[in-house]
Amino acid sequence: MKNNTAEPPGTMIEMIKVSKLYPPDVVALKDVSISVAVGEMFFIIGMSGAGKTTLLKLISSMEPPTNGLIEISGNPIHQLKGYKLARLRQKIGVAYQDFKLLADRTTAENIAISMEVSYKKPSIIRRRVKDLLAQLNLTDKHNTITGELSRGEQQRVTLARAIANSPTMILVDEPTGNLDATTTEKVMQLLTKCNKSGATIVIATHDDSIYRHTPHRIMELRAGRTYSIVGGNGT
Amino acid sequence: MSFWVTVIRQVGRNLRQTWGSQLMTLLTVSLSVLIFAFFYLIYTNMLSLGDKLGDDLTLIVYLEEEPGPELQQQLIKKITTFDEVEDIRFVSSAMAYERFAGQLGQNEDVLDDMPKDFLPPSIEVIPFKNLRSLNQVKLFSAYLAKLPGTLKVQYGQEWVERFYYFTKLLSIVVLLSGTLLILTTIFMVAYTIRLTILGRQAELELLKLVGATNNYIRIPFLLEGLLQGILGSSIGIAALYTLFHWIRIRFSGPGLLNLFEFSFFPPVVTITIIGVSILLCTLGSYSTMHKFLRI
Repeated sequence: MKNNTAEPPGTMIEMIKVSKLYPPDVVALKDVSISVAVGEMFFIIGMSGAGKTTLLKLISSMEPPTNGLIEISGNPIHQLKGYKLARLRQKIGVAYQDFKLLADRTTAENIAISMEVSYKKPSIIRRRVKDLLAQLNLTDKHNTITGELSRGEQQRVTLARAIANSPTMILVDEPTGNLDATTTEKVMQLLTKCNKSGATIVIATHDDSIYRHTPHRIMELRAGRTYSIVGGNGT
Repeated sequence: MSFWVTVIRQVGRNLRQTWGSQLMTLLTVSLSVLIFAFFYLIYTNMLSLGDKLGDDLTLIVYLEEEPGPELQQQLIKKITTFDEVEDIRFVSSAMAYERFAGQLGQNEDVLDDMPKDFLPPSIEVIPFKNLRSLNQVKLFSAYLAKLPGTLKVQYGQEWVERFYYFTKLLSIVVLLSGTLLILTTIFMVAYTIRLTILGRQAELELLKLVGATNNYIRIPFLLEGLLQGILGSSIGIAALYTLFHWIRIRFSGPGLLNLFEFSFFPPVVTITIIGVSILLCTLGSYSTMHKFLRI
C-alpha cells in the first residue's frame, strides 16, 4: 500500500485512524488517515461500497465516527455543538449523492437556502442564484419546482447550493453521475474555479474521466481501507 | 438579511403551509379563552354582588334580658373571638319599641295598649362585607345562638345559603374551564407544531446540514405558538366583550340584570388572561420542539 504521509502546511481536513462501523457488523471504514491542505483539490475514488460516501458524511459531520479523530480547520468536528457546529457547517458546502433537494420548492429557493442561514441580503442571494444557474446552464429553470427537474438538472442544483455560500470547503459526492460529457466539463470547470478562489475541494467519484489527468492527489478506497494515495507534489 | 427578517419569513412560510390546522388551533384557543373568561366574568361579578348584598346583612341576636355594661363587654369579647366584625350595636327594649313605632308611622296608635318593653332587647352584629364573612354567616349564627341569654338569631338565612352554594358551584366551573383552557392551548398548539415539524422534516434536516443555528430552526416554531396565544386570546376576549355589550344593551330595561352593576374585567385582568394564554401556547410549542425537534 502506497501512502503519502507528508502533512501540508495549513491543514483543512485531518483524519487519524478513523473507523466507521454500522450495526451489526458492517465495516464501512477502517483506520483511514488523511490530511487535506487548505486550498487543495482531493479525489476519493473506489468502487461502489468502498466507503467514499461514508467518508464524506464523516467529514461533513452528518455522522459520527466509531473511532478516530476528525478535525476540520483544527476543530474536532464531532465534539462541536450548537452555534459553533452551525458556523462550521456554513463554511462547508456539500453536494450529496441523493441531492437532498426540497422537491416542493423552486430551483432558486433550493439554492438560496444555504445563503439564507448565514443571513445574506436578499439582493445578494438573488444575484448569486442567477449567476450560478447561468454557469450551470439552468437559467430557464429558475422558477421550476425541483421535483420536476431531470436527475442531471437536480444534480447541478445540488452542486449550485453547495457552492452558493462561497464555502471554504466543498464536498462533492459523485458530481457527474447523471451528466453528459459537456455538462461534466462545465461542472468540473466550476469546481476548479472555486478551488482557484481558495476553496478546498473533496470529490468522491468513480468516474475516471474527471481524475484521469488530474495533477491533484487521489486516494483510493477498497473495502473501507485506504488502498493508495497518489498524485500531487508527493507522488 | 437580519436574523429576525429571516425568522419572520420562516414563520410566514410555516403558516402558509399548514394554514388549515393553524386556523383550527386558533379557533380552539379562542373558544377556550372565551369559555374560561365567560365563567370567570360571572364569578367575579358574583363576588362583587356578594359584597353589595353583604351591605344589608345584619345578624340580630335576641336576648332574654337587657345586658348590663359589664355583660355587654363580655358579649362583645365573645363575638369578636369568633370573627372580626364591622360593628356591634346593642338595642334595648325601649329603643326597639321606638323604632317599631317609627316604622308604623301614622298607625303608631296600635301600640298604645302595649307595654314599652314588650319587644326583647337585641344585639345587631354587622359582619365585614366580603364573601368570606358571607359564607361564614351560617357558622357565625350557630355560634351566636349558643351564647348564654340568647333567645334567637335572625338573618336572611335562605338567600345567604343559596348564594353561598351558587358561588361555590361557579368557582368549580371556573376551575374546570381553566383546566380546559390549559389543556386545549397546550395540547392543540403542541399538536399543530408537531404536524408542522413532521411535514417539514426533510427541510429541517437540510437546514441543519447547511449550517442553520438552533435558534434559526427553533425560533419560528416558538413564534408560531406565541402568535397563536396572542391572536387566540385576543379574539376570545374580544368575543366576550362583544357578548357582554350585547347582553347589556338587550337587557337594559327593568329586570334581573339591573339589580346589580354587571361590569367587565378591569384592564389588568384582561392583560393577565391574554398573558397566561400566550405563555401556555408558547409552552405547548416549546414542549413539542423539545420532543420532536432534536438538533
